[in-house]
Amino acid sequence: MIARLPKRADLVASAIAAALLAVPNPGRCEDTGFDRAIDAATQRVVKLYGMGAGLAAGYGTGVIVSADGLVITVSSLLIDAQTIRAVDAGGRQFEAEVLHRDRKRQLALLRLHTPTGENDAVPTPISHSLPFVDLDSETELRPGDWVVAAGNAFKVADGPEPVSIAHGIFSARTRLDARRRVKDFPYRGDVLVIDAITSNPGGPGSALVNLDGAFVGMIGRSVTSNMTHTHFNYAMPRDVLLDFFREATDPAVRADAAAARNESAGSEAPDLGIRMAKVGYQQKLAFVERVRRGSPAAKAGVRKDDLILAIGSRNVADVDDYLAQIKRLRADEPVDLVVRRGKRILTLRVAPGGG
Amino acid sequence: MATRKLLATGVLVLTIGSSVNAADSDIDRLRATQASFRAVADHMRPFLVRIETVGGSQPPELVLADPDSAGSEDGRPRRRTQFRDAPGSDFVVADGPTTGIVYSSDGYIVASSFNFVRQPLLISATFADGRRLAAELVARDQVRKIALLKVETTGLTVPTWRQDDDVCVGEWAVALGLGFGGSHPSVTAGIISALNRMHGNAVQTDAKLSPANYGGPLCDIQGRVIGICVPMAQRPGELAGIELYDSGVGFAVPKSRVDEIVAALREGGSIYRGWLGISIDPRSADAVRILKLADPSPMRSAGARSGDRILWAEGRELRHFGDLVQTLYMIPAGEPVYLHLARTVEQMEYVDIAGVPALIPRHASQVELCVQLTLARNTELGELLDQATEPFDPSMPLPSSNDENTP
Repeated sequence: MIARLPKRADLVASAIAAALLAVPNPGRCEDTGFDRAIDAATQRVVKLYGMGAGLAAGYGTGVIVSADGLVITVSSLLIDAQTIRAVDAGGRQFEAEVLHRDRKRQLALLRLHTPTGENDAVPTPISHSLPFVDLDSETELRPGDWVVAAGNAFKVADGPEPVSIAHGIFSARTRLDARRRVKDFPYRGDVLVIDAITSNPGGPGSALVNLDGAFVGMIGRSVTSNMTHTHFNYAMPRDVLLDFFREATDPAVRADAAAARNESAGSEAPDLGIRMAKVGYQQKLAFVERVRRGSPAAKAGVRKDDLILAIGSRNVADVDDYLAQIKRLRADEPVDLVVRRGKRILTLRVAPGGG
Repeated sequence: MATRKLLATGVLVLTIGSSVNAADSDIDRLRATQASFRAVADHMRPFLVRIETVGGSQPPELVLADPDSAGSEDGRPRRRTQFRDAPGSDFVVADGPTTGIVYSSDGYIVASSFNFVRQPLLISATFADGRRLAAELVARDQVRKIALLKVETTGLTVPTWRQDDDVCVGEWAVALGLGFGGSHPSVTAGIISALNRMHGNAVQTDAKLSPANYGGPLCDIQGRVIGICVPMAQRPGELAGIELYDSGVGFAVPKSRVDEIVAALREGGSIYRGWLGISIDPRSADAVRILKLADPSPMRSAGARSGDRILWAEGRELRHFGDLVQTLYMIPAGEPVYLHLARTVEQMEYVDIAGVPALIPRHASQVELCVQLTLARNTELGELLDQATEPFDPSMPLPSSNDENTP
């Protein structure tokens, strides 16, 4: 009797303990510290299945951005399919319709529907609200922070199985300079570089969250970095997705954005008064051949034979790069030209407008 | 009974309490780790230098002569020798920024030689405070892929280094680099995977390394420098290691080696790959058989001949050519190397045939020789020749015949 009692008591105790522990953490191991992040990310993505051909995977991932089933994913062959299927974290099946595609950012906005029956004339909206990421809520993310990505990598998550998780740290925010096979990748804006391997088939469209589960970005299309010449593991930042989302859902915002782009494309490049040397090797370095008297460059002190290294914080690779960069200067914004003269490096402030 | 129940309840409360605490402390532990990663980056920022080159990476068809070698001052493309460092490479080095670390307060900067395949027209060094100075390339170490730069300044602050012996496998390693541009370093993290790799030239880490970190520090969790991140691979070549980008296999040259290299670069100029000066018979798949020898070359001077087999190098048994390359390519020119050779010789004997002395072959046997030689620079090697057909002269002793010969 005495010998048996403690055993029974222990059994009861552990049974109750297990029951209590199971409530916040059903069917799981003990929290590793990543649980909050994993839950937040896996609940807010859908697995996508569509068209595949050759090397293009017929599957991918999308991030749910509204309770009524708006989903952001990458613009790829997958969404050219007649029927795009989507499966959420609960294993529920949807059909997805493409609402908007952005060629520049290589993003797409989809809407989920309840699967249509054969006789349905119009798609049926989904009947319940979905957990979604709030694109509007800003989160501080610093290099060194843990990140967790959740997505349909290699479609190993079969049927209703939860998506795959990868963890790593956020390395840097930088401008993307990349290509897909031989073609330059059109998006040249900011991306989040991460040190987890996420550039896998099916990986693009995965949700990236921080340790607290706050959404920070979405894994972008697979590209090859022009710097490392390897697959680049990166995410489109939340703010870039928000801009896209606003343009995609609001025609007025879209019109404004288009107008702004036309304006910058149509505006006259400021004339600094520098003529570039045409002598060339393979790479035509940005040597100054002549500076027009009285020009903005002359006033700033630019001289013949100076080698232009950078405009502002951006390096100048060669003559073509110089010409491309001065097109983006504004007449009313003075800018620093970094030049090499002899053995010295000088910074010269130029007022493109001549002032 | 009542006491027992009470006890059981106590256990229950304890169990739950410790579980909840464990969950809390796990996320807290991760928070603490990420705070440390951030702190390492902030702490190291003042010691990092953004290195940019202009004209250091021309397309491969315009490969210029080694800027440090004699006879190339005209800068004209030089005839390629048979001893190319990077055979058939069509990889174009990116012109993007790389990273350097302040090595001494008087302006020496240690960087990766990655962007200095050729002598650049200009090297610009940008410091954490925004100062941008022209840097001079003092010398390069072709083997460990390190470049020593000098800027004209004083009063730079120097980071703290970890002693090699203190570094442990499994400890956190944080790699920093300025390769993505901007002012804040990029951060990747992992652990130390191994020590004493690549002939003691490197510690290995699973922190993702790529040109974004090359020349940058691999730090411990307290912000001390364990080593300098460099591209390395198990084969030679100026650009070897690119296949290991972001692979989870990365290398950093540890402190003691960096100190040695910097001292050598400051005094003696560049460090080059070491060469034996031989070509290998491709038909002998199971052995490393010498086909031709350059004359002059270290192997020629050591007495090797065409047809000799190399059995061991630096205490390692060789099964094929790759083994030899892997053993020797991290040893720079000027360093000694020990080889164990085997040669099949016809034993000749004078016999008396009808009163006339004659030299006849008796039986073939293998002679093994140990040689020590000093690796040479590529440029010191002569033309490749087949040197098997030398007439046998019984009065000539075998090279190094004082070494133990086994019949």
